[in-house]
Amino acid sequence: MMTRRFIVEPRGLASPRLKLAVPIASVIAALVVGGVFLFITGENPFAVYAKMLDAAFGTGRGFSETLVSATPLILTGVAAAIAFKMLVWNIGGEGQLLMGAVAAAGTAIWLGDGAPAVLLLPAVILAGGIGGAIWAAASAIPRVYLGTNEIITTLMLNFIALNFVNFLIFGSHSPWRDPVVATFPSGRPIAPTARLPEFFNRLDAGIFIAIVIAVAAWYLLEKTRWGFAVRIVGDSSDTARYVGISVPKKILGVFLLSGAAAGFAGGLLVSGPVGALDPRSLDLGIGFTGIIVAALARLNLVAVIPVAILIGALSNAGPSLQAIGVPAATVTMLQGAILIFAVAGEFFVRNRLRRPDRVSEPILEAGEPA
Amino acid sequence: MNESQLILTIVAAIGLGTPLIFATVGETITERAGILNLGVQGMMLIGAVSGFWATFHTGSLLLGVIVAMIAGAALSAVHAFTSITLRVNQIVSGLALTLFGTGLASFLGRAGSNPLVGNPSRKVFEPLFSGAITEIAVVGPLLFGHDILVYTAIAVAGGASYYLFNTRMGLSLRAVGEDPASAESAGVSVARVRYIHVMVGGSLAGLGGAYFSLVLVPTWQDDPIGAAGWIAIALVILSSWRPWRAVVAAYLFGAAERFQFTLQTLGEPWSAVPSTLLAMLPFVLAIAAMIVLTSGKRARLLGAPAALGIPYFREQR
Repeated sequence: MMTRRFIVEPRGLASPRLKLAVPIASVIAALVVGGVFLFITGENPFAVYAKMLDAAFGTGRGFSETLVSATPLILTGVAAAIAFKMLVWNIGGEGQLLMGAVAAAGTAIWLGDGAPAVLLLPAVILAGGIGGAIWAAASAIPRVYLGTNEIITTLMLNFIALNFVNFLIFGSHSPWRDPVVATFPSGRPIAPTARLPEFFNRLDAGIFIAIVIAVAAWYLLEKTRWGFAVRIVGDSSDTARYVGISVPKKILGVFLLSGAAAGFAGGLLVSGPVGALDPRSLDLGIGFTGIIVAALARLNLVAVIPVAILIGALSNAGPSLQAIGVPAATVTMLQGAILIFAVAGEFFVRNRLRRPDRVSEPILEAGEPA
Repeated sequence: MNESQLILTIVAAIGLGTPLIFATVGETITERAGILNLGVQGMMLIGAVSGFWATFHTGSLLLGVIVAMIAGAALSAVHAFTSITLRVNQIVSGLALTLFGTGLASFLGRAGSNPLVGNPSRKVFEPLFSGAITEIAVVGPLLFGHDILVYTAIAVAGGASYYLFNTRMGLSLRAVGEDPASAESAGVSVARVRYIHVMVGGSLAGLGGAYFSLVLVPTWQDDPIGAAGWIAIALVILSSWRPWRAVVAAYLFGAAERFQFTLQTLGEPWSAVPSTLLAMLPFVLAIAAMIVLTSGKRARLLGAPAALGIPYFREQR
């Protein structure tokens, strides 16, 4: 190796200021990289970013749409954070969201107009969570009992779920398909009593449900006995086994909770802004974007909420760019870049760089490297 | 199904399997060095768009392929930096690469005053052979009916297999993936070996992506590769990190993708099976194969590189 200009050493506890600085720096760095690509394709990055800011926050309508975009992202962010914290690599948020939507729309259609709203609406949303958990179980059970790699199975189940939704709407005359519109198939609209009330343009009460679920997940993980045991498993499964915790059961529980969170996102979309099992409004990469939310929130289940609003603002700004001739994919590029910098930034949270000639400050607490 | 339909199906399966071979062999080389790169989908898409762009503007297929490989390698270098130098979580870093690559490919295809999107490729790879040799019954279309990249893919798999198991550098590579500390004490630079092979893997993924935009779907659209990058990651495991097996697995999955079209050509009642259900086949096959072949005690027999996905700390030995 060449002579090193810096020595890398593990940091003890990272300060709260640093934990905040890394995500902010990630966003700024991503904007710079995105700006370079915008510039070389002949756009003015500042004009594009100004347009995005205005579209996301500039008007009441824009701000409400930002929160509409943020609502499912809070939940897919929770889904990713809860799993990744325990080293469960659930990358199946897409599929779990879709199957949550299938279950939610199915419940609404099955119970129909007859059921009273006080029962129907909770049943529809809860069905979303159950649908997501069941879909996660298809990966969780082989992982826990057979050791099957969950990265592959959750990913493949995303595509199976998407094709299944397409089958229900485009490939068959299922109860989910609108029987009225014959020319171009679409999802059957659910009963108004199964829809969440809107209070700020298209924004509905779903955002509060998403926030409550995120806080509840945080409480469950940080403040309960079960959560404590789960965190021990996440830190070291050897330690967990040594103190008599059933590791498979904990992994299964975390996996199903993660799937349920993504499924709730599907349930809230169906009972909220989408109002039907509509593949075009549900297959937007919300599950994958949840991974960005989780990473930028540094897997903190409460921090997921503001981060989801930021990432939701980006998602919401995409379509407005087309009006000024800039590809909406600018947004997905920026979101991907944010994730790259957020994950790279973990290096600086965990390590510090020191000049070889300077004496190291004492390390307060032995941090775990990497 | 009559004989000519069967041959057509096999030829199509070989075509659909070819980008999977490039990507799977590339990821196999990467993982043999101990680095897991889940960015295959993103690298393939960047290869697809940049290869298409280069051929579109120069009319040269060779340049298209070269640019695609450079672009794939450039994107993989980002993952190499985060996972080898910064030693952060390889799973999240790889996913980041895929999300960024997907967004960037779509952006580049639509940006500018004269965007690529909707344009047909100026040139596509044509079958390598022509004349009498291709008209021989059965053997002609099966062996001599393909473009040059189909044969290149087989050669790449063969070359990778030889490199891994019969050369000194291949031995170093495998040592780095199995036991980096021992490799380092034997005088191998773990970081250098890993950087090189992550980028070789990236360039092959880029080439696989270009096969879509220059052969299989030669009109630029946002997402021409489907789920090929994800399938390739599964194929690495299913072929137990061996390039020759990757060829077989890739053709098998090519056939699975082709299956829905094959059924439609068979007429009633087969053509009545909804295509949305048949489109699930490759993914169901991947999960079933994962559970049957890689679960429980069989996992140890697969021979996964022992240090796969684990960051290596040189100073801590």
